[in-house]
Order: sequence, then structure tokens, then C-alpha cells
Amino acid sequence: MFAHVFRYRFKCLIRDKQLVFWTLLFPILLATFFYLAFMNLNDDEAFHPIDAAVVVSGHNQYDAPFKSALNSVSKGKNRLFNMKAASNQEEAAEWLKQGKIDGYYTSGKTIKLTVKESGFNQSIMTTFADQYRSSNSAVMQIASDHPEALQNGLLNDVGNRQNYVKEISGGSAEPNNILNYFYSLIAMACLYGSFWGMKEVSDIQANITDRAARVNMAPVHKLKAFIAGSSAALVILYTEILILLTYLRLGLNISFGPRTGYVLLTALVGSVLGLSFGAFISALIKKGGGLKVAILMVVTMVGSFLSGMMFLDMKYIIAEYLPPLVWLNPVNLLTDAFYALYYYDSLNRYALNVGAMLLFIVLFSAATYLIVRRRKYASL
Amino acid sequence: MMIHVKNLVKRYGDLVALDHLSLDIKEGEIFGLLGPNGSGKSTAINCILSLLSYDKGEIEIFGKKMTPDAYAIKRDIGIVMQNVAVFDELTVYENINYFCGLYVRDKAERKQLVEEAIAFVELEDFRKFYPKKLSGGLLRRLNIACGIAHKPKLIFLDEPTVAVDPQSRNKILEGIEKLNAQGATIVYTSHYMEEVEQICSKIVILDKGRVIASGTKEELKAMITLGEKITVETFSIEETQLCQLRALPGVVSVDKIDKRLIIKSGKGTNNLESVLNFLKNNQIGFGRIYSELPTLNDVFLEITGKQLRD
Repeated sequence: MFAHVFRYRFKCLIRDKQLVFWTLLFPILLATFFYLAFMNLNDDEAFHPIDAAVVVSGHNQYDAPFKSALNSVSKGKNRLFNMKAASNQEEAAEWLKQGKIDGYYTSGKTIKLTVKESGFNQSIMTTFADQYRSSNSAVMQIASDHPEALQNGLLNDVGNRQNYVKEISGGSAEPNNILNYFYSLIAMACLYGSFWGMKEVSDIQANITDRAARVNMAPVHKLKAFIAGSSAALVILYTEILILLTYLRLGLNISFGPRTGYVLLTALVGSVLGLSFGAFISALIKKGGGLKVAILMVVTMVGSFLSGMMFLDMKYIIAEYLPPLVWLNPVNLLTDAFYALYYYDSLNRYALNVGAMLLFIVLFSAATYLIVRRRKYASL
Repeated sequence: MMIHVKNLVKRYGDLVALDHLSLDIKEGEIFGLLGPNGSGKSTAINCILSLLSYDKGEIEIFGKKMTPDAYAIKRDIGIVMQNVAVFDELTVYENINYFCGLYVRDKAERKQLVEEAIAFVELEDFRKFYPKKLSGGLLRRLNIACGIAHKPKLIFLDEPTVAVDPQSRNKILEGIEKLNAQGATIVYTSHYMEEVEQICSKIVILDKGRVIASGTKEELKAMITLGEKITVETFSIEETQLCQLRALPGVVSVDKIDKRLIIKSGKGTNNLESVLNFLKNNQIGFGRIYSELPTLNDVFLEITGKQLRD
């Protein structure tokens, strides 16, 4: 009997084009739009070497140390400048005018910086010049007062920077500003699975549909039929989420970290959470299907917003000002589980999120059972 | 006894939907529950089937108490709901197979039953159609097939002909008689008195949740004073002549509606002849004249003072 109900519920659900659109195609489309919108976000935030030039004054005592300082920050992968030497002021001014450089230094007794406009790169060039002037002045003063200091490694000491803040990383993952958008999108897709749960309850409650009344009249245990139907819904939803994950990973190159098994487990827990949530709302609300859909839609979309799907900082704002909501928002729990899996080597935070989701599943399922188990209805 | 209902009471707040309803339905009957909309027909069926809770009363089916878990009883019951209760995502064949599969586990047996049900409702050419592609009449037939495919001993049909064209209605009624001939006991609810009169071997008339009359159609008609209804299409008749007509032996009432005279007579013979003689003797011209025997509507009208379809 289980196989019979499972098979036909599977057919009923998979042929519901509207549901398949909202639970599979819509998240894939949204993910594609996210990708197109956010693909340059990380690049924009990455530091790019500044195109700059230097014009030497012809006085070696001023030019040599400044050129040396510039060369030291214009080498390697993490260089500060793409430095070019201009033969004269006019050439550098022409490069600046043409936008080939963001500014140019003129060495001499006083370091001069020429820029066309103010901006991030120009500020860095100013800071560099100020630091050079300050260090150079300090070296000159010390060398004048204590010439022996030059033999005692003064230049090395000035060049060294001591950092008094120790940075401890929670994990080895590369920071990525766009991942949270996709993680909350997966969470949204899982919560859209609530529509499957709603459909299952509707087709088992005799006071909701005539089809359900017919099933109730059959010699089949109502809860067994419900479990068979819900299993079919879970298989479909989990498959959809796996398709979405595959598309994100292989199609859009979204990283989930190295722990694939946990990612799949999280998707499964998320799918069960979505189903149980939909079943609970459908069992609880006795009004028409439209109201149930509206409630599920609003809860999912508001939950997604609060977990940072539309505005990344919202996740942190909620964590700071409304911490209980972090644990009450199922979309956030799911998003944060993926987040924790990616960023943290430790599984503590992940386990807390999954634990909270399992608690929700138990609560939703228990409440649904108490409502659905009713064998007779006061009205149909 | 297939169904025994005693003193069934169902209330919706202050409204008494079933007021000490008692029914006994015997094996092999086509039992008609007749009544206007809201009289309690569907409520009675849903209580009998244990879908609805009720406040008081006893319900037995096949001699056993009916409960939601009485699977042995449910196995032999088929139900055809008032509204079409099928899945839009399943084809005609799949719908029947699904519902039949809730009763019959053996695949080969089920396949045979499904084919028989499809043939029974004459949907052979539509087995791969989805419900949305079917007309109202075909949908109703699918609805019936889903309820009877497992060959139940007892079939409930709750207004199965609502919003159905006359051709499909006739097919449905013929089908019900055929099911009965094959051995099924039928409980049929309708507010269409002609249907109930046509197919039911025993009829209960409900009003406001109470049984107001029961028996065969002949027994029901015998309960009322009306024996014959004579309609005369006349051109002109004077008030004094109307009074004389009312005074004729056997005439119960005479009403003039537009150009028609409705003459109701009591039980007896020669009513038509005496009216004809009166018209001839008084030289009253008339177009058509015809006589009708009382209907169940007349029974309902006489007992409750209102039309069955009010």
C-alpha cells in the first residue's frame, strides 16, 4: 500500500507544473540573476595595484632613496604600484591626462604628488608619500644625531613594521562576499518545499478537499497514506535541491567548502524542514488554499530577507539587535549552516544550526500529527 | 440490514442538521434520500460514513458499528462524492487505478477491475485524458468510476448528476440500475425528484434534518389526498363557472394561472371525465387538456407546504 500511494503521489506532485516551477526553476533562475549581478562584487573589493609614475629630480641624494622605496613596493604579486619612470614632468602629466596613471610623484628635497582627482588610489598614494617623508625625516634626524646608528641597523629598524594585533582565522576558507546570497537562496528553495507539504496535508484532510474525503473513506490508515505521500514529496524536493546545488557548484562555481557530505546532509535537513513547515501551516490554517500559500510565501520571503538574501548586512544587523530572531528564522538557520560549513573548521556552529532545525522539524511534525490524526471532522 | 441508523443527531452550533434521523436500508435496495438543498442529505451520508462527528445516535453498517477505523466495513463501501473528487495530475486510467488500489492490492485483479470500471462508464476512448480535458458529463462518469471500481457491496452516490447534461444523466442513472442489478445496494441522494422516482425502490424524504415521509414511491403518493392533477388550457371562464367547477365531486382545488386551469382532484376514478363534461355542458372552449398523476414534489408540497426545490 505504501508503494502504491507513494507512486501515485509522486506522479501527482511531479506533474504539478506550478509547484515544480517555484521549487526548482525559480531558484535556478534567481541564482543565475544573482550570479550575473554579483559576479564582479569580489573583484571590485579586491585590491588592484595602482598605476603610478615617478619623475626624478636629477639630485641623486633625493632620488635614490625614494626610487628605492618605490621599487620595494612595486614588486611581486601583492605590489602596491605599477610604477613607471617618466623622463620628465610633461610626459608624466600627459600620462595622467590620458588616464594611464592615477598620479605621479616628483622626487626632490620635497616629495610632490600630482593627481587629477581625489579617490581611493590617490589617498593611498598620499599616505605612501606621507609615510616616506616621515620615515625619511626620522632616519635623517637620527643619522645626524647618532651616525653610529646607521651601522647598528637603523634602516632595517625603520623598515620593519610591528603589528600588535594578532589575527586568528576561524577557518582556512577564502573570504567571499557573495556566498551568503546563494546560501540563503538555497534556504529559500528548501522553504519553498513547504508548498509540497501543504499539498500533502490538503490531500489527506477530509475537511479540506473531496479527494481527501475519498481517501479517508478507503480502508487505508490515514497517517500511513500521509507518510507515503510526504516521502514522495521529500524525494522530489531533495532531488530539486540537489539539482540546484549541482548547478550552483558546477554551473556558477559557487563554493561550499570541502565538506560535501555535510552539505548534502544540510540540504536534506533543510528539505525536511520545508516540508514539515508547509504541512504544519496547512494543517493549522483552516481557511482556503490562497491564504496558506500567502502565509508560506511571506514567511519564506521575510525569512530570506532577514537572513541576508537581498541585503547582506541584514544578517549581521539581526544578529546584533535581535539575536533571538537568528534562532527563530528557519531560513537563517539553514543559511548559517552552509555559512558555518564553509568558513569554520570547527563544526560547533554548524551543529547548533542543524540542531535548531531538527528541533523545528520535531515541533512542526508533532503539531501536524496532532491535527491530522483526527479521524472525524466537526464539519466538511 | 445493510445500514441501520437510529436517532442520529448532528448539530452545527444552534442549527440542528440532523434531528433524530432513523433509517434502515436493506440489501439490494436503491435507497433514495430526497430533500431540498440543506435538508441534511449529505450530512447524513457523511455521518454514516464516519467522516463527520455527530452528537448522538447509532450507526451500523453490515451489522457492525461504523467507526473511522472500521477498515473491514470500508473495504466494501464505494462513495461517489457530490463534487468531482479526482486528481487533475493523473489521467483517467491512473485516477481509477489509484483509488481502486486503496482497496485492492493485487495488481492483476486491479487491472481487470479498472478496465471493467472504464468500460462501465464508457470512458474507453479517454483513458489517457487528464480530467481538465474532459467535459462535465465525462468528469462525472470518471468520478463514479473512481468510487465503484473495486466492486463494493454498498455504494453511496451523493447527487452524482448535478450540473450534468441530460444524455450523461441518463447514462449515469442506467449505470446505477446496472450496478444494483449486479448486486450492489445503492444509497442515492438527490434533490431531483424525477431521478429518485425513476430508480429508487425505497425513498426517504428529508426536510430540516428530519424524515418527513418514507416508503416506495407508490406508498408515498398514497399518503396524500391528491389523486390527479388536470390542466386545462382555456380561453375564458367566468368566476361563477369556476365556483361550479370547484363544487364538482372529487375536486379538491381549482387555480387559474394565466390561461391555465389547474384542477386538483382527490383519489378516485372519472375525474377527467367529469371535468370534460362540465366544460362541454357550460360551452367553455379549451385548447389542450391533460391529466398527471401526483409526483414526489406534490407529496413534499402537501406535507411541508413548500416546493421541493424551494
